[in-house]
Amino acid sequence: MTFEDWFRKDRLPHIFCAGCGNGTIINCTLAAVDQMGWKKEETVFVSGIGCSSRAPGYIMTDSLHTTHGRALAFATGVKMANKNLHVVVFTGDGDLAAIGGNHFIHACRRNIDLTVVCMNNQIYGMTGGQGSPTTPLKCLSTTTPYGCAEPPFDLCELAIAAGANYVSRWTSYHVKELEKAVLAGLQTPGFSFIEAMTQCPTAFGRRNKFRQVIDHVEYLKAHSLLKAKRDRLFEEGKEIPPDMFVVGELMRRNRPAMGVLP
Amino acid sequence: MKLAIDEIRCKGCNLCTKVCPYKIFKEGKKPNRKGIIVPELDRPERCANCRLQKLYGRRLCGVCELTCPDQAIHWIEEEPYEPHKVAIEY
Repeated sequence: MTFEDWFRKDRLPHIFCAGCGNGTIINCTLAAVDQMGWKKEETVFVSGIGCSSRAPGYIMTDSLHTTHGRALAFATGVKMANKNLHVVVFTGDGDLAAIGGNHFIHACRRNIDLTVVCMNNQIYGMTGGQGSPTTPLKCLSTTTPYGCAEPPFDLCELAIAAGANYVSRWTSYHVKELEKAVLAGLQTPGFSFIEAMTQCPTAFGRRNKFRQVIDHVEYLKAHSLLKAKRDRLFEEGKEIPPDMFVVGELMRRNRPAMGVLP
Repeated sequence: MKLAIDEIRCKGCNLCTKVCPYKIFKEGKKPNRKGIIVPELDRPERCANCRLQKLYGRRLCGVCELTCPDQAIHWIEEEPYEPHKVAIEY
């Protein structure tokens, strides 16, 4: 059995734009879920609103497509109602960090046994390219036509500070590592948060000199700094380049979790 | 095992040309019926997974399948070669 069997084949091809990284993230997540050996009847995929949140519609399990930003609230309800279910949440950056920010930090604080895969494309893609809380500085979007002037959110740091059990970040270029990170997140009891940086050729790349899909993937690959290298630079007292983001397993700990079967 | 690109699902983003370590996928030339330029396969018998999956009993590499955002790349079983007996009628 491969991850291909988890798709609703009659729904494919999906409506994501050509070159959108969300399909890659769905592949990696489903490959990890497939390795866990869960039954389709006991797995629930929850999502909010956005490009990324169309993902559960293409997956052959029970799924919830909920209101904007409230995916984690609904997932908490599902998990609390039936602890036997395995709940995986797909969200985007606008869904999780902007309107669902409070739900996110409180789900981290409660440490509920969920796995959250955040597809961070750094923009609101579905509504036409508005700036989101994770749009990097000086990047153009329809609401920041002179360059984004606000510093972006670091979602992984936020999850670590709020108390998530497992936090890691990868990009859509690092497919194998992302698959292993999602697998580790599924195995960890408690809240596990995996941030996947994706390319968005239509809304983000078009305005930010990444017209070709490959240009943006190359950028993500070149500007990801491994955690081990970050630590080494930190020990040597060298400066960490400001435009790079840290990838790797950022936190793994054993805080008491909620919703775990005894 | 044999590599295959599903022309119905492919949207022509050419991400596979970037990720394959053997550079098996090449950018296509001609648009298909839907107007999408589907990548071409350049000597697909070099693919490590095609050659060695049976021997190792597990998926090797497989990066193109995981990366393809449209789930268009997969491996299909090749039918074993069967010599056909041809009856020649005089």
